Amino acid sequence: MLAGSVMRPRVGQVYRTSLDYVLVIALYLLSGVGSAILVCAVGALSQDRRHPLVKKIFNGAQSVLCAAAGGLVFHYTGGPRAGEVLSEPWDAIWTTTAANATWLVVNAVLLCLVLFLEGGQPSPTTFIRKVALPTSPSLLGYGLLGMLLAVAWLSGLGFLSILLIFVPLYVSRWALSQYEAERRAQAATMRAFIQVIETKDLYTRGHSERVSEGVGLLGRHLGLSDDRQTALEHAGLLHDVGKVGVPTSIIQKPGRLDDSEMDAIRLHPARGVELIGNIPFLEEVKSAVLHHHEKYDGTGYPAGLGGENIPYFARIIGIVDAFDSLTSTRSYRPARGVEETLDILLQDRNTHFDPLLVDAFVEVIRRHGWKTLDQPAPDGSKVVAIDHDDLSLGSGGGATGNAAGVE
Amino acid sequence: MNPGQPIEGLDLRRMGSGVVILVVGGILAAVALVATLRHGVTEWSYALVFGALIAIGETVQFRVDRSRNRAPIATSAALGYAMLRGPSVGMPPELAQVIAVTAVATAAGIVPRAIAGLRWDIVVSCRRGISVACAAAVFEALTRRDLAWNGEWVEALWIAGAMMAGVLSAGLSDAVIGAGQATERYNRPFPAALRDELVVMTRIGMAMGITAILLATGTSLIGHWAPPVVIVPLLLTQFAFRRFASAQRTYRATVRSMARSTEIAGFSSPGQNARTAQLAVAIGNDLGLTPARMEALEYAALLSGVGQLALADPSPGGASLLRTREERQRAAEIGASVIERSGVLDHVAEIVRHSNDPYRMGRANNPGIPVESGIVNVALAYEQLVGEGTGQSPDKAMESIGLGIGAEYDPVVVESLRRVIGRGFRF
Repeated sequence: MLAGSVMRPRVGQVYRTSLDYVLVIALYLLSGVGSAILVCAVGALSQDRRHPLVKKIFNGAQSVLCAAAGGLVFHYTGGPRAGEVLSEPWDAIWTTTAANATWLVVNAVLLCLVLFLEGGQPSPTTFIRKVALPTSPSLLGYGLLGMLLAVAWLSGLGFLSILLIFVPLYVSRWALSQYEAERRAQAATMRAFIQVIETKDLYTRGHSERVSEGVGLLGRHLGLSDDRQTALEHAGLLHDVGKVGVPTSIIQKPGRLDDSEMDAIRLHPARGVELIGNIPFLEEVKSAVLHHHEKYDGTGYPAGLGGENIPYFARIIGIVDAFDSLTSTRSYRPARGVEETLDILLQDRNTHFDPLLVDAFVEVIRRHGWKTLDQPAPDGSKVVAIDHDDLSLGSGGGATGNAAGVE
Repeated sequence: MNPGQPIEGLDLRRMGSGVVILVVGGILAAVALVATLRHGVTEWSYALVFGALIAIGETVQFRVDRSRNRAPIATSAALGYAMLRGPSVGMPPELAQVIAVTAVATAAGIVPRAIAGLRWDIVVSCRRGISVACAAAVFEALTRRDLAWNGEWVEALWIAGAMMAGVLSAGLSDAVIGAGQATERYNRPFPAALRDELVVMTRIGMAMGITAILLATGTSLIGHWAPPVVIVPLLLTQFAFRRFASAQRTYRATVRSMARSTEIAGFSSPGQNARTAQLAVAIGNDLGLTPARMEALEYAALLSGVGQLALADPSPGGASLLRTREERQRAAEIGASVIERSGVLDHVAEIVRHSNDPYRMGRANNPGIPVESGIVNVALAYEQLVGEGTGQSPDKAMESIGLGIGAEYDPVVVESLRRVIGRGFRF
């Protein structure tokens, strides 16, 4: 039985790691702690040859240490062996769960140690918060499959029992990978779509993606939860999606716009919400798209909201939107420098923007920097459309007066 | 009539053959209940535990893909209950008792859903009951009642084999019924529908079957401790599935919304993309395309107009039929490159690229062009003629499309369109 268990099924690396600890738990029950550690050691020798030696040694040592720690707990809590499993199932359940918990803790501690020594990203605390804690309940749950494996093995099924355990594990992995795939597909599709909308104007190209990146930086700095972070990045990407409803002739119109044309531009947030209304995003995404042109003093559009009444995400996007607009080249003016733009934002911190968020954003940009892309040089010979973001900046606070092109 | 919409709850008029399934399931349940009540229930505790599992599973059912609701926990629990043996279970439940417990528990699980106003489908639940009855009958026919897990491989292999046979029979019977229903409801050819059902069976079905075997084996060996131990990983798996399903729904809604951008920009009339896609899907069903191709077809029909976004001015009423062919092909080419840029919809891009190629210059000589392009081409044309605003009668539209057979439109697709319209398809 022991010899048989050592021959681990040869499947993909990902499945192997999750199968590993299920197998080890089954081995505790079937043939004792010693053999479980032995199997881990043998497994460590048969690692992927492409890994560097240090990594191999670490991986091997890690799995042996985890198995040993779990085994100790299993042993001292009086875990049942072989035939006893069937007569005392409760003992088997709680001792293996205790061993499993120990395994997870030791594993997390070892990984944190490595992250700490390497000193890079992610930091040990982020790792615990984002990876170790969220995954441990499910790993604890799947550990029960190890106990079931032992039961099925003892029933006389032998190797067939591994098949029984493998299918549920495989299905859950599959669902997880499909989930990731769908999420990636959605992000890619939205980006492609935004690029089409931006083809109307050479100079705003890439604006939405940069805003999405900028709000992402600010969101991480503010410590949003994962769900809200994703929602914020989506909102940043989609904030100008309603521009598809603004006639191209207005977007590309040279010079100043008359009132009816301005009204058409002012409609774009509402158009955006109309477009994305059916997508089951968090409600915050829609309100952010609708209100990203509101100003802190209440002079913005479409609702003239002011202060804290402007949705949180909309305030964030308003800042990054203005920032990217000013640091980008427009046909009628060159791009501003990052520092110069941050100063403009700080000057407007009470009229246009939420002062606290502006401070946070300035801090983030000063720390992380901002890479501006090579863009077409401004073409002074042509009188071309003034971007709507510039327009909204210029019409309110006096500080940014020349942002609107009245130089 | 709206063939794409799934039925809900108790709507007898729209159920069609579902009524037959309902009656068969009902009679089966009634007979089993009477027989069980006369013999008395054996091993009450197991009946209660598995009944509770079935009811809970029924309550937390959810939808993967676009097909129908699935209740993996209920299915696994019912199949598991059907395949119990010793040593822990002294008196394994008889066939009648298995069916009775499944029926009562299923009904108990549906009630909370109906009260909460969630989607429920009595026909799907009936199908589950019938397939469980099949599995129980096969398993009982293959194993003696006193056969027990005794740790010897001979007995273990025999019981496991009987379980596999039972689970397979459940899967097969459900696939046949499902294919029959798909044929009736979406007018898919039966062989194509059966093929799709069997493909689904080898994926989700296998997972549910294996879990059922695990549940039955565990319970037969360690008694009441097994169900919770099996259910915890199963719930985690179901949770992963639900997340996947919701991400899938979000993605689909995203594609639909993006398609609507041409309406907001004034390149197409309100609902035009949705109508075109609805017709394209009906034709695709009629031709029996695989689910993956159906999905690409639907997206392609929805997105066939996005290329226009890059063109300067909207045409009045979105009538792209009125524009020159060169312009339409250019728009299709732009649209295809836009869709391709997403990196995940390459097949959709290929369909859109050729969606404005006339049949004679395209597919007739180039088998590399997918038939889906021809479908989108015909669906676009028909929608232009009949869709809101223009309002020709279906017959008149069919006539003008018929004039383009072989030259403009793919004959196979036009024949299919004729069948779809003949069956009463209306926007």
